Amino acid sequence: MRTIRSILLFFLAAAAAHAATPEELLAQVDAQRTVPNLSFVMTITSMDGEKALDYNTLWGYVQGVGSANRSLLSFVDPASVKGRKMLMDGNIVYLLFPRTTNPIRLSPLQVLTGQASNGDVVRTAFAADYDVASLTDATRDGVDCWQFSLALKPSRKDSYYARVGLWVEKATLHPVYAEFFSGDRMLKKAVYRDFRAAMGKQIPFLVDITDADSPNKHTTMAFVSVSQKSLPDTAFRRDYLPSWMPEQPR
Amino acid sequence: MSRRRTTVGTAALLACLGAVPALWAWEGQGMIDTVPTAALVQPGPGQPWTQTEFTELTAQGALSDSQSLGSGLSLSGTAWAMADSLPSGDPRVTPASKVDLQTRLLELKLSWEAIPGSLIWDVGKKVIHPSSGFFRTPLNVMSRGALGNSANISGSAVGTWEEGWIGTEVTFLTGPASFSNFFSPRLRWTGSTDQALQYVTQQQPDFQDLARVDLRLGEADVRLLGLLSSGGPGSADPDVLATLGAGVDTNVGDAITVRAEASAAQSRTRLEVTDAATLQTGTQTVSWAPSALAGFTWTNADQLSVMAEYWYNGLGLSGAAYTRLIDYTRTRRSTLGSPAPDVMDQFGTLTAAQHYGFVRVSGKIDDSLSAAAWTAMNLQDPSGLSAVVLTLTHDAWTVNASAMDAWGSTRTEAGLLPMLWRIDLQVSLFL
Repeated sequence: MRTIRSILLFFLAAAAAHAATPEELLAQVDAQRTVPNLSFVMTITSMDGEKALDYNTLWGYVQGVGSANRSLLSFVDPASVKGRKMLMDGNIVYLLFPRTTNPIRLSPLQVLTGQASNGDVVRTAFAADYDVASLTDATRDGVDCWQFSLALKPSRKDSYYARVGLWVEKATLHPVYAEFFSGDRMLKKAVYRDFRAAMGKQIPFLVDITDADSPNKHTTMAFVSVSQKSLPDTAFRRDYLPSWMPEQPR
Repeated sequence: MSRRRTTVGTAALLACLGAVPALWAWEGQGMIDTVPTAALVQPGPGQPWTQTEFTELTAQGALSDSQSLGSGLSLSGTAWAMADSLPSGDPRVTPASKVDLQTRLLELKLSWEAIPGSLIWDVGKKVIHPSSGFFRTPLNVMSRGALGNSANISGSAVGTWEEGWIGTEVTFLTGPASFSNFFSPRLRWTGSTDQALQYVTQQQPDFQDLARVDLRLGEADVRLLGLLSSGGPGSADPDVLATLGAGVDTNVGDAITVRAEASAAQSRTRLEVTDAATLQTGTQTVSWAPSALAGFTWTNADQLSVMAEYWYNGLGLSGAAYTRLIDYTRTRRSTLGSPAPDVMDQFGTLTAAQHYGFVRVSGKIDDSLSAAAWTAMNLQDPSGLSAVVLTLTHDAWTVNASAMDAWGSTRTEAGLLPMLWRIDLQVSLFL
């Protein structure tokens, strides 16, 4: 089994090395971790150093890719937020509280300062949203990497992050680390871990995101389970939120 | 009578509480409120108004659940119960029992997604709240108002729990638009039937039909609605009356959301003062009563948030009519044992004038503690209500501590409110 894996990794690395352009290489990075119509159960834990400050468990459904994607989220734990439903439609976000019928519209900055902004890090589709400004060799934690410098595509100006620095393991094409910038200011750092095979892809089941302004505070976003479920387009509409009956993704 | 009410209410409350362990997957909230209040009260006819302090204790709980029944069918509902030590909010009133118990079925509806995500049919009891307003909600044209008698510590128009309407709704979502129609029949029953049903549902005095269109235009959410209501043939109110409304929400830049909405209700009646000195009033019909709200919420990167709203109340008074109302209320208060009606509060607190403002500032102190301060102001006086609220949040509980003050001279609306100040300690538990 280990031999087969090594052969696969060899061919992956070889294919990457022979990719015609940096853009194609970046597209391969996305292609092997992006699942269309992803549904998931996820836990989000906010940490101060090693101390857990709070946590949420979400059920989610995603449609589309990158900053153009739309996500339906249901908060299932803890009890104080249970029953909340959220729709993220590009950079427009609606939140529906239990026993209310009119979703509240949130501003991008409200989203950027909350846990939803970490969702934006996870949802980023590098090739769909960014142009490659430069590609260099680098070593990170003793691992040979490609280091991409990415600039937001003019057509994706509604994305939160104007610039991304991305480190990708050469052998596997797994993203291992990323820095997200607004202008010259770094907003977040993300470490991708626990890659697992699911639905023919290699998905990082754990992403650890650190706020650049508060290095001690970080958020771990961990998939508990992932699967695929296609929902109709109209399900990702504000007016559908009150009618949406979330079911636990399988 | 009171013994029977208490028994039925207690049984319903115990049934709800007893069901909790078996229904752990349900969603629930319990809330205990301790509310020390200072108010001006008239101890009895012929006696002068005096300041009195009293404490009201309420315990409320609600249980909700939603179950998928398969094939696009689902069932959801919310039941509510409340125990109140001072249901009248007035220490002069002799209560029927030591503790007043109420229960109500807030919502219970069967939904069928005939075309998944596109065509949805609901039947049962549901709350209809299209408004995006916080301080006032012009588009909530079918609202029954908050249940119970608990203190409103957030300043919001919508209470924690509200009873819905029995009816049926069809919603069709297509492209950037959705269309819905909710029909609610007239439901009346005898007084003896009401003795039992009051613990489940209120009567519905009118036939009501609410049609809505919701549109996404660019980055803006636009909604249009029209409500027709009538008591029906043979009733005391057989005329068909209309209410029309429109609203829009959008973002401005990265930090601001804005909202604006307006509605106009046909043929509303109000009491008006004809002679303040002799406490004479008359009924006036307003052919179309407009209500409009404009507001924004600004949030910065540190999660400091400022919300401001302006409300125009077309059913309120201005100019000489408003001055007469203030004079009337002062005269009524100083006339011992007067049977003259309370014109000031005929539609609720801070609804007598035409122009109101609301500002709320809130922010996080640390990861579990947040603070808010708000003021609701009659812009014609000026006078108003102001409050500060501290909230401690944990996974399964929150604690709110708040203090509210009514301010303004004795020639202003809020200055003439019986309530002087109020403190609230509220503990909420979540299942």
